[in-house]
Amino acid sequence: MTQREVVVIGGGPAGLAASIEAARLGAKVLVVDENKRPGGQLFKQIHKFFGSRAHNAGIRGIDIGRQLLKDTEECGVEVWLNSAAIGVFSDNRVAVLRDGRTEIVQAQKILMCTGGSENALRFPGWTLPGVMGAGAAQTMINVNRVLPGKRVLMVGSGNVGVIVAYQLLQAGADVVGIVEGMPRIGAYGVHAAKVRRAGVPFFLGHTIVQAIGDDHVRQAIIGEFKDGQVVPNTEKIVDVDVICVAVGLRPLTELAWMAGVKHDFIPEMGGWMPLHNENMETSMPGVYVAGDIAGVEEANTAMDEGRLAGVAIAQSLGRIGNDEAEAKKQEIRDRLAALRMGPFGERRQAAKQRIVERGVN
Amino acid sequence: MADWTVDVAVIGAGVIGAATTYFNAKAGASVALIDSGDLAEGTSSKSDGNILVCDKLPGFDCLFAKASQDMFEQLSHELEYPIEWRQKGSLFLMETDEEMEIAKKFCDEMVACGIPMRMMDHKEIKEDEPLLADDLPGGLETACDGSLYPMGLCFGLAFQARKLGAQLLLHRTVTSIDKQDGGFVVHTTNGDIAAKNVVDCAGVWAPVIGRMVGLDIPIQARQGQILVSEQTFQVGRRKVHEFGYLMAKFQTDGYKRPVSEAIERNGVAFVFEPTASNNFLIGSSRRFAGEDISSDIEVMQAIAERAIRFFPIIADIKVIRAYTGVRPFTPDHMPIVSATPVPGFYIAAGHEGDGIGLSPITGKMIADMIAGNELMMDISPLRYSRFTEKAAQ
Repeated sequence: MTQREVVVIGGGPAGLAASIEAARLGAKVLVVDENKRPGGQLFKQIHKFFGSRAHNAGIRGIDIGRQLLKDTEECGVEVWLNSAAIGVFSDNRVAVLRDGRTEIVQAQKILMCTGGSENALRFPGWTLPGVMGAGAAQTMINVNRVLPGKRVLMVGSGNVGVIVAYQLLQAGADVVGIVEGMPRIGAYGVHAAKVRRAGVPFFLGHTIVQAIGDDHVRQAIIGEFKDGQVVPNTEKIVDVDVICVAVGLRPLTELAWMAGVKHDFIPEMGGWMPLHNENMETSMPGVYVAGDIAGVEEANTAMDEGRLAGVAIAQSLGRIGNDEAEAKKQEIRDRLAALRMGPFGERRQAAKQRIVERGVN
Repeated sequence: MADWTVDVAVIGAGVIGAATTYFNAKAGASVALIDSGDLAEGTSSKSDGNILVCDKLPGFDCLFAKASQDMFEQLSHELEYPIEWRQKGSLFLMETDEEMEIAKKFCDEMVACGIPMRMMDHKEIKEDEPLLADDLPGGLETACDGSLYPMGLCFGLAFQARKLGAQLLLHRTVTSIDKQDGGFVVHTTNGDIAAKNVVDCAGVWAPVIGRMVGLDIPIQARQGQILVSEQTFQVGRRKVHEFGYLMAKFQTDGYKRPVSEAIERNGVAFVFEPTASNNFLIGSSRRFAGEDISSDIEVMQAIAERAIRFFPIIADIKVIRAYTGVRPFTPDHMPIVSATPVPGFYIAAGHEGDGIGLSPITGKMIADMIAGNELMMDISPLRYSRFTEKAAQ
């Protein structure tokens, strides 16, 4: 059995930031990631970050990713790519599928940074080819350079829906509309303004009723949406070949459940999530979480949660004195609190505070 | 004042409890089926669906299993819930010439008991299952074996019993049992049930119920794990398992299989079962690990290693899930289907890995005992007192 001091599952922003922090403090870190390159969703984010007062405003996600990779390499973090963590078993054993074989890695500390997954929306025709998550469409255009279709209907007007709609336009698709069940747009105004200027109509107070097609989506039926119901006789048919669904994300928690970590349903954070303490440690001693698995937020909070976990792990391994560790952690916590200010962040800040105050035992 | 008054209170809503409820209700008794959780929430949902005679010992063991197996054809028509009963037979695989010899003797004894078994040579097994490994000396076919959907069977029996008037009193934990004139009062976390008779069908947890009436029931949890494959082309057409399974199950023979230490340590024997959904289940393991039902990677790897030994093609097929359950194990590998020194208190538990297959006959026997009918066969080997007699000696 292979032994490692710290095993980080998932090399996205949280996992890489945590690894860099822990490695700089002297911990031996292994990152396992199922993708062929690390960086998680950052490499899909060709737009500039903004909206938070903290650092990274004005920088593109892809550039943040490049910097993380450089730092990861410089501080000697071991990275296994094309390596999926397929299970976590008793005594902190992580099973990793690598080169077609399952390798068991015994870890002193495990940090889970598995991220989130897109929520599905069920309507007649939802399994037809051409109906996909907005994140999947974003991967196709920004990573794989494949246009998923020519005429796209976006369902959901949050940041993901609106940003991906804009990137689909940039990639050469026609976005025929953005459907939103609520009476107002969910995304930041500056993102919404960009797609509006490009002439994309918003159908507020509307929902998707059905996808029509035989072997592929050909049309979408949308209708007015009131009190949880489609208003009769308001249905419209639009010709589309792609329907993107952007109705939120949820923490990707399978490995945490498998490890026996205590969970709870926290609506503000995307649903069921592993509970953690002020050090990002869960109810299972030595098992930590950071990033979207610990509640869906954004890349900046994910990186800082990762750093927080990284310091806490180094501290618990005795690589850093308690005073120094506490000071570092407080600095990161203050930055997280700053990131969670404003109308979008307040609810998450309150939820996180509630989780930490409750404790994991 | 009890909340319900019935002829028979059945404790434990796994397949044994569901069958006991069904056959009692069918016989005209008023029945309550009680469980702390839902239907088929314990061992019955962590099992495979094999209905086997081939892995029983010659004599009473195989005759009892055969009588139960013979009841499924009718049950599959009687129950309205689809139980996916398929009777394609089963194939034991032998790995060495020594196993061939043991199997031949076993086959003769089983045939003498009336079990439709026959030896197959290397050529015959390869024709039967073309994807088998090329170096296996032969097999042993049991024509009458079959498989079904175990949770479906459980639901089918319980729902049909409800149609016959039985009450499903789920999500209430039995806290104590009082003996009173003419029967019992079963106290639960949500209401009391007065019953003339009580049947302990709680499987692994039967000893907890037994203690409530002062009975010591020698049942222990024996863990088993199963791997689930992705949907594939047909790897094997029917139930296939290694003859060494018998030895792993009974751990009695002096014979030692040529296997790795992890396989030996975890009591792993190859069992393959295609399902109605075009995927397959692979087992099996046997070890004592308390009531732990978390899957362990070492056991999973040992199961996979053993499966690839017999069907090399499995190395290229993905496992999508694994699950673990605990079998109710008795010291002599035989269930307890019996009255007890407490009048009106019966035990139907301890079926180890055979609860699904033995559920119909178990339910029928208990119903006949309670009704005072003559039993369809002598089941004295399953009496509870065999353990107390032993202790007294």
